[in-house]
Amino acid sequence: MVKKIIKKSPKTKQIKKAAPPKPNKNIIKLKLDLGTKSENTWCPGCPNFMILEAVKRTLATYIDSKKYKKEDFAITADIGCHGKIFDYLNLSGIYGLHGRAIPTAIGMKLGNPNLKVITFVGDGAIYSEGISHLIHAFKENPDMSLFVHDNQVFSLTTGQSTPTSQTGYVTKSEPLGEFDKPLNPIKIALASNATFIARVNARDTPHMVEIMTKAINHRGFSFVEIMQDCIIFNMDQNFKDKRMYKIPDNKDIKIAEKLASEFNYNSKEEKIPMGVLYHNDQPCLEDRWPQLVDLQKRKVGWINK
Amino acid sequence: MRLNIVIGGAAGQGINKVSTIVSNILVKYGYFTFNYRDYQSLIRGGHSFNTLSISDSQIHSHYASIDIIVALNKRALETHKPALKKGGMIIIAKEFKKEGRNLNIALAGALLKILGIPLENLNEEIKLEFKDFDKALISAKKGYDSESEKFVLKKLDNKITILSGSNAMAIGAKNANLDIYIGYPMTPSTNALHAMAKDQIKNKMLVFQAENEISVISMALGASFAGAKSMVGTSGGGYDLMSESLSLQGITEIPLVVYLASRVGPGTGVPTYTAQSDLDIALRAGHGEFPRVVIAPGTPTENIEIVADALFLSEKFKMLSIILSDKHLAESEFSTTLTPKKATKITVKRSVPGTSIVKASSYESDKFGNSTESYILTEANVDKRMQKYNRAKEYINSNLEMVKIHGKKNSKNLIVGWGSTSGVIIDAIRDLDAKFLQVIYMKPLSSLIRKELEKADNVILIECNATGQLGRLIREKTGIKIENRLLKYNGRPFHEDELKIYLGEML
Repeated sequence: MVKKIIKKSPKTKQIKKAAPPKPNKNIIKLKLDLGTKSENTWCPGCPNFMILEAVKRTLATYIDSKKYKKEDFAITADIGCHGKIFDYLNLSGIYGLHGRAIPTAIGMKLGNPNLKVITFVGDGAIYSEGISHLIHAFKENPDMSLFVHDNQVFSLTTGQSTPTSQTGYVTKSEPLGEFDKPLNPIKIALASNATFIARVNARDTPHMVEIMTKAINHRGFSFVEIMQDCIIFNMDQNFKDKRMYKIPDNKDIKIAEKLASEFNYNSKEEKIPMGVLYHNDQPCLEDRWPQLVDLQKRKVGWINK
Repeated sequence: MRLNIVIGGAAGQGINKVSTIVSNILVKYGYFTFNYRDYQSLIRGGHSFNTLSISDSQIHSHYASIDIIVALNKRALETHKPALKKGGMIIIAKEFKKEGRNLNIALAGALLKILGIPLENLNEEIKLEFKDFDKALISAKKGYDSESEKFVLKKLDNKITILSGSNAMAIGAKNANLDIYIGYPMTPSTNALHAMAKDQIKNKMLVFQAENEISVISMALGASFAGAKSMVGTSGGGYDLMSESLSLQGITEIPLVVYLASRVGPGTGVPTYTAQSDLDIALRAGHGEFPRVVIAPGTPTENIEIVADALFLSEKFKMLSIILSDKHLAESEFSTTLTPKKATKITVKRSVPGTSIVKASSYESDKFGNSTESYILTEANVDKRMQKYNRAKEYINSNLEMVKIHGKKNSKNLIVGWGSTSGVIIDAIRDLDAKFLQVIYMKPLSSLIRKELEKADNVILIECNATGQLGRLIREKTGIKIENRLLKYNGRPFHEDELKIYLGEML
């Protein structure tokens, strides 16, 4: 089933044109170096493999450009299927507690503002347990990236409903079906003064690489929603690819609000806009604290202050 | 010589201002002061009071019986009059109504006249504190002239500093070169947050207020991971929220210091009052088994030293250090001639991101820092953590003061206590045949405790909680049950005169 979709999707071919320069040999080597010896325990065919590939490609290109070393990156991961990416990436970081990946990452930035920090979370993790941290991260605007693996279901705990699951979703914990309407995280981001909001498809690796690169380059808190199918649980929400369409990077708040409303996480018909839904430039947390400005100028953390 | 002055009134009337001015003058004049702050959880109105205790020798406590009342309103007079000693004096604020904003200065003037301290001392203090002081000087004189001398305090030659536990936290942090302090406002830990924040730029520190205590401790672990010497501060309720991350500290072994300033629980309890009822959670909060140290200072001077020790231990053993204080220690203003010992130099020698690849995980992990479910590695990791605790215990045993003995060293009467209750015990047993064993390290617990208990004929446990938490801990570690217990749990600390009466009956 999954393979078929990839072949059918007309978008995949188009996107390849927009992809960054073709990986050279050095990038392939750097990508290998970003991997670990840990046994990969994602389900065969899980789109998480493609997210991992996109992250490796993005970071290998960064490291190849000599702008950053591998050691300059630090990650945090939440708990859930997505979090296993921590074990598969040879990068510094904290594999934290459920819901706490964002404040842990902000702490790293306070401890050394020169680090390039990326946080991986799931929809269950960040919209349930960690929602307060997400809203405050938008407000504080630390210079880091958040990659949300949103498959509209708690998978590692065997298929319960998350805040983005569709109304009516029947699970073992809610056999009467989910009564609520799903949250719209894009609207929450806009309401919380987010400075970078993007949405990508986990099956579209080149587009993921493009958007992840933009997210890391953005000076501020970059929120990237990765739409992902779970091939085991809540499969009703899968195969949205056909409804997805790409938009050019948007800076207009009015347009952003319109784009945010196009998909309500419930419907089976609405179009789903993909790409940078909104971005603007606001001073980030690290540039507002004089202590952190000083550490950045001297390119050190507190350890060498 | 000992005098106790109550300055009472509604919140917002400036009772702290009166006690601050008078304490500053007394301390410069060579007298020891102890200022107990009793206030409600409100901003304007209600009834608050300070008990300012004065002595010519070192004190750490206040009395229930009062020599002088300074009443800023009728309610203060009515509340405290029953505790006024025979021949005690009353200063009524109403008489100085005309002084307006300088009312408190007039009251300070009246008080100093009663104590027989020359007016110049007040004038000097006013000139130091206020830019525009002409009117204040007039009010001071009016207040001064309104009373007559009752006591004559001679100038003494003592070099004394006033210090609260909260200020001690900030001084200790500065001395130990703390990098990052993160908090969320909660009485009685807020004053430490304020004190740290105030001079953060000067002290090359960063003080951050996060959205909740869960975020506070998560951020601190992130910052410490990145190489910053980090500390968080909170009270019981916030500490409860931090519990899951205490456990994360246990498995990731990221150095962290937690300042836990207790107040009256459970729930919101009596939020601006004191209790020693969080020892249990300091010792045990967090799922799973992992090492930690719990240190409870008894005075601000000890508190300054313990900040550095806690940071040192957490960095050396990659462990959780908890500094256990309470409202009474954090917010009472002590005075002392002692200078804290020099802080141990703390160097962060760990691998940190930015220069190496370093992984920390909430899962049990292999040598690369990646998750494992292997029974062999799980067991080995547990062993490693337990051995680390043994090493820490050995280090503490041979290098740090885990208990202190006060009073008559050869007495067969032994009093056991800890934290903010220590001060009043030290004061109360001065003229009694008794020895006081002050427990400073709650975890690990000193082996000296058993020896002292075995030597004594009569043992009394004194704590500000309802279940005798230190007593239970001692019983767990030594098998010895302390039968005689003096427990106070109404939110108020022991008064020295009150404790003397109880001890007189029990010894």
